[in-house]
Amino acid sequence: MPTFAMKKIVKRFPGILANADVDFTIEPGEIHALLGENGAGKSTLMQILYGFYSMDSGSILIDGQPVHIASPKDAIALGIGMVHQEFMLVRRFSVVENTVLGLKEASGPMLDLRRAAQRLRALSDQHHFAIDPWAQVQHLPIGVQQRVEILKLLYRDAQLLILDEPTAVLTTHEKDQLFTVLRSLRDQGRSIVIVTHKLQEILELADRVTVMRDGRVVFAVSTRQTSEQELARLMVGRDVSLRAHRVPLERGPAVLRIEGLHVRDDLGQEKVRGVSLDVHAGEIVGIAGVDGNGQSQLAEAIMHLRAVDQGTVLIKDRVKDRIKDRDITRLTVAQHRALGLSYVPADRRHVGSITQMSVSDNAILGTQRQRTRGPFLDRPKIREYAEKLIARFAVRSAGIGAMAGKLSGGNLQKLILGREILQDAAAIVVEQPTRGLDVGAVESVWLELLQERERGKAILLISAELEELMNLADRIAVMFEGRIVGILNAANVTVEKLGLMISGIPPANAAPLATQGEES
Amino acid sequence: MKWIERRVTPADSPLAITAAMVAAVLVAMVVTSLLFLLYGANPFQAYLALFHEPFATMRGFGYTLVRTAPLTLIALGTIVSWRSGFGYLGFEGCFVIGSAATTWLALLTAPGGALGPLPLLAFLPLAILLSFATGAVWAGVVALIRASFGGNEVLISLMMNYVAILIVQYLVSGPMRAPGEVPQTALLPRATWLPFILHGTRAHAGILLALLATLLVWMLLRKTPLGYELIVSGLSPAAARYAGIHVGLRLVIAAFLAGGLGALAGTVEVLGQQHRLMDGISGGVGFTGIIVALLAKLNPLAVIPAAALYGGMTVGANAMQRRAGIPSSITFILQSLIVLMVLASDLFRRYRVNLK
Repeated sequence: MPTFAMKKIVKRFPGILANADVDFTIEPGEIHALLGENGAGKSTLMQILYGFYSMDSGSILIDGQPVHIASPKDAIALGIGMVHQEFMLVRRFSVVENTVLGLKEASGPMLDLRRAAQRLRALSDQHHFAIDPWAQVQHLPIGVQQRVEILKLLYRDAQLLILDEPTAVLTTHEKDQLFTVLRSLRDQGRSIVIVTHKLQEILELADRVTVMRDGRVVFAVSTRQTSEQELARLMVGRDVSLRAHRVPLERGPAVLRIEGLHVRDDLGQEKVRGVSLDVHAGEIVGIAGVDGNGQSQLAEAIMHLRAVDQGTVLIKDRVKDRIKDRDITRLTVAQHRALGLSYVPADRRHVGSITQMSVSDNAILGTQRQRTRGPFLDRPKIREYAEKLIARFAVRSAGIGAMAGKLSGGNLQKLILGREILQDAAAIVVEQPTRGLDVGAVESVWLELLQERERGKAILLISAELEELMNLADRIAVMFEGRIVGILNAANVTVEKLGLMISGIPPANAAPLATQGEES
Repeated sequence: MKWIERRVTPADSPLAITAAMVAAVLVAMVVTSLLFLLYGANPFQAYLALFHEPFATMRGFGYTLVRTAPLTLIALGTIVSWRSGFGYLGFEGCFVIGSAATTWLALLTAPGGALGPLPLLAFLPLAILLSFATGAVWAGVVALIRASFGGNEVLISLMMNYVAILIVQYLVSGPMRAPGEVPQTALLPRATWLPFILHGTRAHAGILLALLATLLVWMLLRKTPLGYELIVSGLSPAAARYAGIHVGLRLVIAAFLAGGLGALAGTVEVLGQQHRLMDGISGGVGFTGIIVALLAKLNPLAVIPAAALYGGMTVGANAMQRRAGIPSSITFILQSLIVLMVLASDLFRRYRVNLK
């Protein structure tokens, strides 16, 4: 089994030194984690190894022999395979068709799918993948699709498997299965690189870890000799708090009330099936669940970005000093915003922002009508406001005139979150606020949300990250197949229990809906 | 080491964009030079002939302005609709419908007409209003269909061009036809003609209207909340809805403005140049205007130079044929090449060259 080594890799993009003299070695039979914030250069390094990018200088050695990798084809021929974050599968093809795609092994003009399927089945059995070669990819769950990707690499007899953020889309259970698979591959002597910024998973799975920051390797060590705290500090370059401190608060009256909501998705399938929930002032209510269990549709329906079949959404409204619940179910989005509801959508780049517009144009999205002098947009005021926003929320950018699309995920999210927070709405719906963000950005997003909670805002936090919910939420509602299957008090919740519940398995000792009785 | 490498994001500094555009025009001219050589002509003399007449002689410049005005208005209409995410292609229809409405109103002011003679200052605002409204409704219908039923505006607007052209054909050969051999209306009363603005040329006040419209469209898109909302709707309908913008309504507004501007181009042509309505009055300007908008990269302020270049080259083509004996159709090849190269120049901004 070969050793893969990258020596003195230098890669320069205009204005950025993406890799500066990077040394990276992968031994046979090890799981090696490559850790770093967004923009640290870890993706660039792997793209070079996989032949997507050329390097400016440096060398790649396999067992000490220099090799030339000009394209992914070369990489595959040398036994290097990659599973991308977004799977490269043809959804309407079967597993076996996807596997032979791009291979030239047929002895005649015809594809011999039967023989390929036999080999696949043997491989699948050998690694306990439980994959039917004839199944259509589009019918397989995400976790299984990922195993198909890995199976594809094994079919090509890859010795080095690179996995880019492999757990981002998986449930807890699927993640455990993936780890089992990866460990067994390692035990056969294959090498595995996981590119990630999840510290816990590294400590759980990897044998060694290499930390990158600003294009350089700052640390490479066996995982037994390090800790989560140390890795976080090395990655970010300063001390990071991984535990959010949630001060006890007396919660206020219910600000946002959802009653018996039924919502369909674009295909007409009912995705939200009778959800009822209250969010109080000074409270973060978390919604836990695996993606696709109706959370997105719920958030969109609350804002009336999606039609509501049945049910009501109420918000506390102050009319002439009289406070009363106002039915906003079918009011326009603009009215929702005017009545004190703001929303941070999951899709930052297509919904939450307009990437082809400047930071300052994005800062006024939704409030453009209030920012006028006479009939015209008040540009000086807008500039001032945008400057204030990026200073207050520490949005790092090349200035307010820069395209929003050039911001990193974390900075774009801070811009969106900041914009929604500054609208000073009574209630905020936040969906997957830290997905894909690195530790430093996660920390600041968490702090902002907790600060809003302390300022008496009612926050509905939809997240697939259980850690996030346990750190931020006062109560956690678990959503499964469109229903709330339990509302738990965050004080007595464990990751294991939540993990079971979001997979649709009621924990033996959980009393469903028990804590809903504590309505004040 | 790869010689040519894909950039993560295209180079989009103003310098890179300008350089790419200039390079595109130069490449198109070099390629066309080869065609000139085929005809045994010296490319430098050919280009001199092509550009001298429209830009360096008074008479030719007058014609250039005559061509520029409707092209500018159509291009502005294209910019408003396309930047709002409304892929409208029905400017040919708007143009002829606007010409017909203007002609109808102008003939009413003829001696013996229903309105009787009107001074230009009273007639012109009326004509502009009527024409704009006609075009707005003509294009607005398409936006309504798209906003309420999800119809495809590209197909519908293209098809409606034929409807408009046939309506005008019917008008000039039937109800509005003047006695005579040719299917056309009577000459419009002189009082309704746009004043000529350069002594001894055909240049008329339509170019002033086009300049004013350019300024207004630029202010709308750049300075007003409505313009901001239109652009947001065009760039990302999902983000627009999220921000509380009623995207369907913005589509209809954009279509109104675009159709109105397209119809104004017809008004300018009828009152400034033709002074009557006839079949084929547009000469395809409803489509060349779209090309001008593309050449201007959908930037309202760049429309004037782009339209002048395009219109001027059309004027110069004839001069070139007279003086250098080169078929004027080569000019159309040059025009098309320029547009193709400018559109293709975006591709080059996506790559970088490694010289090391």
